Amino acid sequence: MRARAVALAALASVSIVGIGWQLGSQAIDASHSLALSAVRTDPAAVADAAAAAATSAASATAAAQSGTFTGSVVATRFGNMQVSVTIDASTITDITALQLTNHDGRSVQISNRAAPILRSEVLAAQSASVQNVSGATYTTDGYLQSLQSALDSAGF
Amino acid sequence: MGTMVSLRLGAADFEHGASALASAAQTVATVFGRWDEQFSLYRKDSELSRVARGDIRLTDASDGLRDCYAVALNWRDRTQGVFTPHRADGVIDLSGVVKGLAIAEAGAALSTNGLANWSINAGGDVLVSGRPSDRFEAWESADSAMPTGHRVAAPAAVTDIPEWVVAIVDPFDRGDVIASVPLRHPLRAVATSGSAERGEHIWTALNSEPSPFRQVSVFAADIVTADVLATAIVAGGEATLNEMTDRFAIDVLAVLRDGQLLATPGLRRSE
Repeated sequence: MRARAVALAALASVSIVGIGWQLGSQAIDASHSLALSAVRTDPAAVADAAAAAATSAASATAAAQSGTFTGSVVATRFGNMQVSVTIDASTITDITALQLTNHDGRSVQISNRAAPILRSEVLAAQSASVQNVSGATYTTDGYLQSLQSALDSAGF
Repeated sequence: MGTMVSLRLGAADFEHGASALASAAQTVATVFGRWDEQFSLYRKDSELSRVARGDIRLTDASDGLRDCYAVALNWRDRTQGVFTPHRADGVIDLSGVVKGLAIAEAGAALSTNGLANWSINAGGDVLVSGRPSDRFEAWESADSAMPTGHRVAAPAAVTDIPEWVVAIVDPFDRGDVIASVPLRHPLRAVATSGSAERGEHIWTALNSEPSPFRQVSVFAADIVTADVLATAIVAGGEATLNEMTDRFAIDVLAVLRDGQLLATPGLRRSE
């Protein structure tokens, strides 16, 4: 009973994975997708799902697919998202985030880590108008607060 | 909260009349006044002060206070305990979330009143909506200036439409700006925390080592997130900086103790 329930759960994820893969450049048959999704879920599901896969599809995965597959492009608010996955004998061995471009045409790296940057490289907005100031000393000495007040009075 | 709040209206909303600015200012002042009355630790009779002293048990406190506490606890979980609503001596301290929540509520009140273009700056925490203005090629003559000094000009030509811009000031040289950042959707909020030699001190999670960061500015979609993460990164150091930039959709500009800068890719000048 439990084996069947687990296999059904794996099948639910297969339908999502299957659709995704078919939109990409490589179409993978459903039985192979089942094995892949089983690899990514919990170990208990693997054996059951593998057994279900062996008994279900007529053309079982005789020659396991290997290679690099590119996923479809997904639009997000930060720009487009695309990854590629490397598969070796039904096992995912690597997932690569591809370089993306955001709407401004600037290159957006998947890694959002803060890295060393020169002062000359930091963003300085084109517009000459600055309406607000922010800084660590804003609340500790009156300088920035007074500066903000001056900007407000100037109607900048 | 002990700090002045700066409110700007964008030109589009300011055209509704000078009274629009006055009533907007009143709206913001009312919201901050309420938060201050309930949560300021500088006021002996605020509800939070009474809870901190033990005069009221947390379980007997108002829904508003307990909701605030819940928000802070949630952030404690999300920052692996680096951000916490308790001081080292165990006393409750909600200052890490109160300012952000007050700003957020003030902003929501302005939006509810039909104002879509504004900026709020409370203690260096900035939240914006809409745009400051359309940019014009030429100004009309001085006699069309409004009494407050704002000029309303007819557009000779509309060039690009600017965003609200915030200048991040150098903590080592307050006359110097290290970044001027347009607060573009979705990162419409920025908060800056620091570890000053004198003045306010953030307890660090670094085994009583001082923070490697003299100042941290976080750009986020909402002001509470920006505020909490700026505090957490100062307190937690490099490990927290990397965890938070991995997990949250934020931009961060950090100033190290020796003056060097760290920045996420979104704060890099485009070529």
